[in-house]
Amino acid sequence: MDASALVRDTIYRSTILLDQQRWEEWLAHCDDRFEYAIRAFSPEINKDVTYLALDRDGLASLLKLLPKHNTDHSPLSRHTSVYTVDVDEAAKSAKAVSSVIVYQTLLDGINSHVDAGESRLFIVGKYLDTLKIEDDKAKFLSREVRIENRRLDKGSHWPI
Amino acid sequence: MAAKNHRQWLAEPNLKRSEWVDSRIYSDQEIFEEELANIFKKTWIPVCHESELPKAYDFRTVSIAREPVIVARGPDNEIRAFLNVCPHRGMIIERRPSGSFLEGSPSGNPKRMTCMFHAWQYDMRGNCVYISREKEGYQERLCKEDVGLRRLRCEVKFGGFVWVNLDDSPKVSLEDWAGPAFECLRKSLEAEPLEVFHYHKAIVNANYKLWHDTNCEFYHDFMHYHNRVTGFNDAYFARKNEAFDHGHVVVGTFEVNYDKYEGFESRAALSFPHLPPNQWYMIDLFPGMNFNLRGSAFRCDIVTPLAPDKVMIEYRGLGLKRDTAEERRTRINHHNSIWGPFGRNLHEDLIGVQGQGTTMAPGAEPRRILQGRHEDQTIHDENGMRHYYKEWGRWMNRTPSEPESPFVEQVSVAAE
Ligand code: FES
Ligand SMILES: [Fe+2]
Repeated sequence: MDASALVRDTIYRSTILLDQQRWEEWLAHCDDRFEYAIRAFSPEINKDVTYLALDRDGLASLLKLLPKHNTDHSPLSRHTSVYTVDVDEAAKSAKAVSSVIVYQTLLDGINSHVDAGESRLFIVGKYLDTLKIEDDKAKFLSREVRIENRRLDKGSHWPI
Repeated sequence: MAAKNHRQWLAEPNLKRSEWVDSRIYSDQEIFEEELANIFKKTWIPVCHESELPKAYDFRTVSIAREPVIVARGPDNEIRAFLNVCPHRGMIIERRPSGSFLEGSPSGNPKRMTCMFHAWQYDMRGNCVYISREKEGYQERLCKEDVGLRRLRCEVKFGGFVWVNLDDSPKVSLEDWAGPAFECLRKSLEAEPLEVFHYHKAIVNANYKLWHDTNCEFYHDFMHYHNRVTGFNDAYFARKNEAFDHGHVVVGTFEVNYDKYEGFESRAALSFPHLPPNQWYMIDLFPGMNFNLRGSAFRCDIVTPLAPDKVMIEYRGLGLKRDTAEERRTRINHHNSIWGPFGRNLHEDLIGVQGQGTTMAPGAEPRRILQGRHEDQTIHDENGMRHYYKEWGRWMNRTPSEPESPFVEQVSVAAE
């Protein structure tokens, strides 16, 4: 696979792992130096806002403690389309921009008798990824989920 | 005792009337309309923070009880509030959430608030300074001096929040209204300018008071794994809920053990001015605003009731204006890890009120919502809510436990 195809493949495979909440396997695609963030621009306060920012260890402990927390278990489905991949051959890295739309299919969020089974739009945004390419493998160095929403209602305990 | 049949379920519990409320106060349309008219249109509401309009001609738009409001900073640096409604034919004057009037708009000139519809223009004091084809249409009958925006009472106070009151003659001044409740944090919030770094909103199907109740009671610590492991010690349970006039409640401080929760760090290094490290203060203002300082991060919730069973909650996070980039990053992380939309606690709190909203939909069978815990006014006592609903009863002239009956002032229970 050429580097650009490898990057696409890694982004798509990790989307499936995130949707299926296979957190450990998803983290395995992330380098030790991995930095994760969810950010937006808020025209209300006229500033960039950071909604979550964690390194790999921070993410790992967040994910480990999930079962101890009460949470909305309504599954998320990410629709990802990789728009651009720019490979830096010399640096053995690549930058990728993907569109990501996240739907939430209600399970236990509101009144399950009425709402369970209904899919709603949850997040509109982009993945801004940096990956390193080594030994025919691509690993995430960073992911910024750049979202448009500032109305997030109940929010989520899960990485997007 | 075993599960109840319908009659047993409806029977009065062995508590005083002031120790529960009727769920219809969370779902009844008539009560809701009265709350907008009697409370929200008559009390001081913090609508935004001054750092959201830092320069002359900056503005923010908000709303109180369905009335659109615009807040603008004049060339004299004063912040003023007006109804965001054009006196001509009722167009909303400014549609953006924020911006600057320094630039002209397609219908109007720079430094003016312009109604795009027929191009009437207003200055930053709300004076009408231009009516298009004024003489041709109104001859001598009406001129720009006769019209103007509706000005609103507006003050910047308690750490730079912009407070607006739709009532021209409020019962109490803002200082008397909230000053005593803010006393515990006043020095810290007013030592130097603050700045908003976080904004997001939630719209949930629950009554606004349910959100405020959650902010007023700590008994729901059981819902938060984070609170159980970082709190729950003698000092934690000794924290007091202190009641203030006008329905406000302040929860006193204690030292939080952040290192008990994996992945969390102490917030000692970035404490607010004049505060010892890792303190946690919370101010709950009637009728539904919350100010919460946890060591390094300051949070403010503002509710905008939309329907009996629908509320918008705006969440802000604030730091010190002079924060370095590194300090700000740390503050933001401290804020988000618990209070962000992807944080540990906020999600749980919102599931909680949403769940209450589900059982209290308009038309659902009325039930008693208990708030009868007494624990010497410490953290798991429900005196905060009882104090709030006494004030609510006064403003509404309704008894919270029996909303069809007028409010009767009870001889107050000692020390509540
Ligand atoms: S409605 Fe504003 S100018 Fe006509
Ligand atoms: Fe909570």
